[in-house]
Amino acid sequence: MAIERMHSIRDFKTLQQRLTAESDPHIPVIVIPAGTCGQASGANDLIRIAKRDILSRGLMEKVRLRVTGCHGYCQMEPSVLVKPRGTFYPRVNVSQMSEIVEAVAKGKVLDHLLFRDPETGGRIEKQSDIPFFKRQTRAILSQNERVDPIRISNYIESGGYGALIKTLEQADPVWAIEEVKNSGLRGRGGAGFPTGLKWELLSKQNGTRGKFLVCNADEGDPGAYMDRSVLEGNPHSVIEGMLIGAFATGATKGIFYVRNEYPLAIKHLLIALRQALELGLLGQNILGTGLSFDIELVKGAGAFVCGEETALIRSIEGKVGEPRQRPPFPVQKGIEGKPTAINNVETWANIPIVLRIGGEEFAKIGTRKNSGTKIFSLVGKVKNTGLVEVPMGVTINTIVHTVGSGPSGKARIKAVQTGGPSGGCIPSSMFDLTIDYDSLVAAGSIMGSGGMIVMDDNTCMVDLAKYFMRFLKDESCGKCFSCRKGTQRMYEILEDISNGKGTNSHLELLEELAQVVKDTSMCGLGQSAPNPVLSTLRYFRNEYKRHIHDKRCDAFVCKGVVGAPCASACPVGTEAWRYIAHIQRGEYEQAYNVIREANPFPSVCARVCNHPCEVRCKAGTQGGEAIAIRALKRFITDRSDPLSFRPVRTTDDFAATQRIAIVGSGPAGLAAAHYLSLKGYKSSIFESDASPGGMLYSAIPAYRLPRKTIEKEIESILDENITVKCGTTLGSDITIDSLFDEGYTAVFLAFGAHKSLRLRLRGEDLPGVYPSIQYLKAFNQRGENLAKGRVGIVGGGNSAVDAARVAVRQPNVKGVTLYYRRTREEMPAFEEEIEAAIQEGVHLETLVAPTGILEEDGMLSGIEFINNQLGDFDESGRRRPVPIPGTQHIVPLDTLIVAISEGSDTDCVSVAGVNRVDVDERTGTIRIDPETLCTNRPGVFAGGDVVTGPNTVIDAVAAGKKAAVMIDRYLRGQPLKQPSELRLPRHYVEPTNGHALPRTQRVDVPRVGMDTRKHQFMEVELTLSEQDAKLEAARCLRCDLEFTEPLKQEPAVEEQKEQFA
Amino acid sequence: MIKLKMNGVTVSVDEGSTILEAAQFMGFPIPTLCHMEGLSPYGACRLCVVEIGEGAKSKLVSSCTYRAEEGLTVRTSSARVVRARKMILELMVASCPQSKVIQDLASAYQVRQQRFRQEHETCILCGLCARMCSEQMMAHAIGFQGRGDHRALGTPFDMKSEKCRLCGGCMYVCPACQLRCTYTQPEQAICGGCANLSPPCLEKVQFDDMMCSMSPCVACEIKKD
Repeated sequence: MAIERMHSIRDFKTLQQRLTAESDPHIPVIVIPAGTCGQASGANDLIRIAKRDILSRGLMEKVRLRVTGCHGYCQMEPSVLVKPRGTFYPRVNVSQMSEIVEAVAKGKVLDHLLFRDPETGGRIEKQSDIPFFKRQTRAILSQNERVDPIRISNYIESGGYGALIKTLEQADPVWAIEEVKNSGLRGRGGAGFPTGLKWELLSKQNGTRGKFLVCNADEGDPGAYMDRSVLEGNPHSVIEGMLIGAFATGATKGIFYVRNEYPLAIKHLLIALRQALELGLLGQNILGTGLSFDIELVKGAGAFVCGEETALIRSIEGKVGEPRQRPPFPVQKGIEGKPTAINNVETWANIPIVLRIGGEEFAKIGTRKNSGTKIFSLVGKVKNTGLVEVPMGVTINTIVHTVGSGPSGKARIKAVQTGGPSGGCIPSSMFDLTIDYDSLVAAGSIMGSGGMIVMDDNTCMVDLAKYFMRFLKDESCGKCFSCRKGTQRMYEILEDISNGKGTNSHLELLEELAQVVKDTSMCGLGQSAPNPVLSTLRYFRNEYKRHIHDKRCDAFVCKGVVGAPCASACPVGTEAWRYIAHIQRGEYEQAYNVIREANPFPSVCARVCNHPCEVRCKAGTQGGEAIAIRALKRFITDRSDPLSFRPVRTTDDFAATQRIAIVGSGPAGLAAAHYLSLKGYKSSIFESDASPGGMLYSAIPAYRLPRKTIEKEIESILDENITVKCGTTLGSDITIDSLFDEGYTAVFLAFGAHKSLRLRLRGEDLPGVYPSIQYLKAFNQRGENLAKGRVGIVGGGNSAVDAARVAVRQPNVKGVTLYYRRTREEMPAFEEEIEAAIQEGVHLETLVAPTGILEEDGMLSGIEFINNQLGDFDESGRRRPVPIPGTQHIVPLDTLIVAISEGSDTDCVSVAGVNRVDVDERTGTIRIDPETLCTNRPGVFAGGDVVTGPNTVIDAVAAGKKAAVMIDRYLRGQPLKQPSELRLPRHYVEPTNGHALPRTQRVDVPRVGMDTRKHQFMEVELTLSEQDAKLEAARCLRCDLEFTEPLKQEPAVEEQKEQFA
Repeated sequence: MIKLKMNGVTVSVDEGSTILEAAQFMGFPIPTLCHMEGLSPYGACRLCVVEIGEGAKSKLVSSCTYRAEEGLTVRTSSARVVRARKMILELMVASCPQSKVIQDLASAYQVRQQRFRQEHETCILCGLCARMCSEQMMAHAIGFQGRGDHRALGTPFDMKSEKCRLCGGCMYVCPACQLRCTYTQPEQAICGGCANLSPPCLEKVQFDDMMCSMSPCVACEIKKD
């Protein structure tokens, strides 16, 4: 169907009517988005198959196919949309495409291919009902679905060029400018200058030599691609906007300045320009109205700074893209000295909408000073990435949590970065901020072109600032000395900080320099270049300080301070890489020594450690599976005798005279005693239970940690410097005062958290209701079994799961159910423990909260629950459980174990008096200075669960180890706070050349079979075989080698010459 | 004539003159490195920044490129201006310590130390030589290449220029007293005149003999007793 050149407005209307009449709205259309993103994920294959199927099955009259630009839901591409029903099929693969074509022809919907709601698990058919689309207002992006970008007929049929016709019919440029001014539309390029005002300024300029309109499509921000998407998907809307602009301002020539990295956008634009020219919508005397306007396309040469308008003008003129002083502004003196108005792609795409619905109507969208919608490219650590179009004035929360569906991984969302390299970071505590030009600037960021990068706890803000500064130092044009050298110097300082070489004066200098660069640079690039530094300093100064003072990167990103992540993540600094390297070489004794040097409880930790090393293992964080470090440690400790290790001891006369009292013999207390003993100090441990071990004994059941293992390990720690006094309780048998009176010179409080917190419901003291610690202690220490019949456990932590797994092994227990108030993903217990419990027959019921305890004949008879649903996000980044009214129900129970959390019995230290130790009333824990472990009372230190609340074994050991250092410094009168040192891998262990290729999958830890586990308390996890251990060790990426590998001697030049001779 | 207020004094200047020209006319000192009468204003060194406007809207602009506007208020040495100039001078000394011009300016602004990694560059990329070459000598032999920290001065494709007449104009205007071509072999460089240059303090042995007051001097490492 040929379309001829049009000579009048009437011609256009005839054409539009003809196109509308020819189309049948009832025929289903298969829409396949194939922008650059769609094509990259395989949309071209879908198109090929759809075409083949439609042709080969003769469905031409029943089904239509439309290839369009991107629809925005990049996470789900390649996707297929069926119009007019609106059925949405995400992530379609080649084999499913034929199915879809067939179903569409028959008018059916394929349920199993529909979008699955991640929350409810139900299927959603219509695109408009999917959470990602639901909260958006898609004024610009929705056109992408309706239009094939290379068919002008599509655009005209869907109402395109209607706004131009309306404007031409009005025949009044002032009216058009007034409409744009009334709409309140502000430039979408970032600075937000009112578009109507810019047009008015241009229209008043002397136009005898001609005037220019420019569409700025030099979109260079990392992570922003909305302009590309508009140009690829709907180029005619931008052309129409420019035509309207030309009519309003009297401009004679238009220029598209498109970055060369957008080949598809350039292709579609060139096709669109040719079509518009052929149809008489561009060129001389457009539609007979006397308007003459031509558009040319200029490809950018790849410099970020060319997005700045004065640099862009120079680039169009064919010169090096360098900004110049404004004023004169481009509107006064632009390309070739002629008046020029430059607007962003999105601004131009908004113009037809403004003229079509009217300025007043447009101004109603969004907020008063920020009207209309804005497209953001939402990328980073969110579930739904893609292009998001929302009215101005929505909150960041809406975009990140509602449209984006929250964090993509388990880590908490920390901040969003808006505005690209010139923008700043906004912390999650400010997510209530509404998004508009002014509030973002007030928060230290900018709107920019609309990039929005979501970051979670695995992003290091120092590294982020460094990344952007590196980008900017390369992309600064270099004309202004302050911008060129300033960005380079800021990068150097950030590099020093991220390598652990930073000092406090670095931070001051960085801030001072950032301010000056902002102040003195000529163009927007330099003026906003320090924003990434200033905003991260403003909101995340603590992270900078962590790098400078503690030499730590909490996100484990900065290589220069992290070294090998496994060692850095370990609270006691075990060099996992080193013993793994020894395992690979078969040197098991050295491997054991490496483990034991750092940790006096290797066999215990090989079983119950929460292995932060594996969480941070690079083999796992970079897409694969982490090395099974704990299983390897178990392999080593199982073949080594703890008594064989001979630690390095030092002593001097001073140490021998000192006596230290340690209250509590858990991992914290024993570790402190051990390391004090190595320094020559004598210590006494006071334990209220009958035997040392603390929570290791009383809380952790034997099937996870055999009693023999604990006993052996404790035996190896105790020596002639350590006295253990069991059955002695602080508060009743001894007091802190009495210890000092007896001649102890320092006291370390490490008596743990042995008090289960209460539900605060009536009936909690009934027989049959037990706090989890009481229940576990009764069994672990005395072999008593308190549970019987139907057992319910309230809680989701490790102690809840432990109680459940103990109960399920009891002979007179009929069934065990865990009740948790949030969902399984949010349970704080270790995932493998939950998995094992479920395997062993424990039922898990989530999203329930107890509301009452039922009594019958003075005994527990049941419990009343209410159902929860997930509400808003709380401070921890998890969604708050909210009770659903009217969902109360009763569950009959014989035993109830309350395991909601544990506190410490700190009454003994906080009795009224002059010498009391400070206690946090809310949590019941002792207050200390975390850097020195000092309590408010001189000479009294505290660590472990008594400070942190219920926590892991390894953290307790770390606290004990640290306490030994601090007590030593305290007694010798040395400053307690000393600068941290960088701890990078130092020992070189030569890697063996693997004869066999190492496997890539993580080893499965062998476990005892289900049948044997029932009603027994033998250890569930088993040791790896030697072969498995060696293979697993061979998977290690050896992050240490970067630091330890000796430099290879390059053969001297002479030798090389000889070789070649 | 345009009237503007400079440091509280009302000034009348011809239309089209820059703030720098107005200040020079009034005798307010403004340091410059990339500005020279007879060459077009460029605004690269940023030393000539002055503060314009009032209150929250006040900002720093380079006075050599900013044209005087009716009713404009200008402060040529406010605290903000001085702080900016000091930092820029510190950056310059850190990169280009050999230049006597920069050393003298730095000491005049009481810059006593530089806190960055010391570099020994030979050029601050002020562009005077390139403008001299193209605007006064009509040769267009040298110009800028690259961007960001790769920006440099040189001939096209770093080849010996056929347009260069070895006039030495580029040398004459250089504030960094250094070669402005990046060529490493002086005998093949544009004019070869740079081969004889040396940093201004190399012949001195005692701190007090030196023109600069940097301690320690970053170029010669001579320390004050």
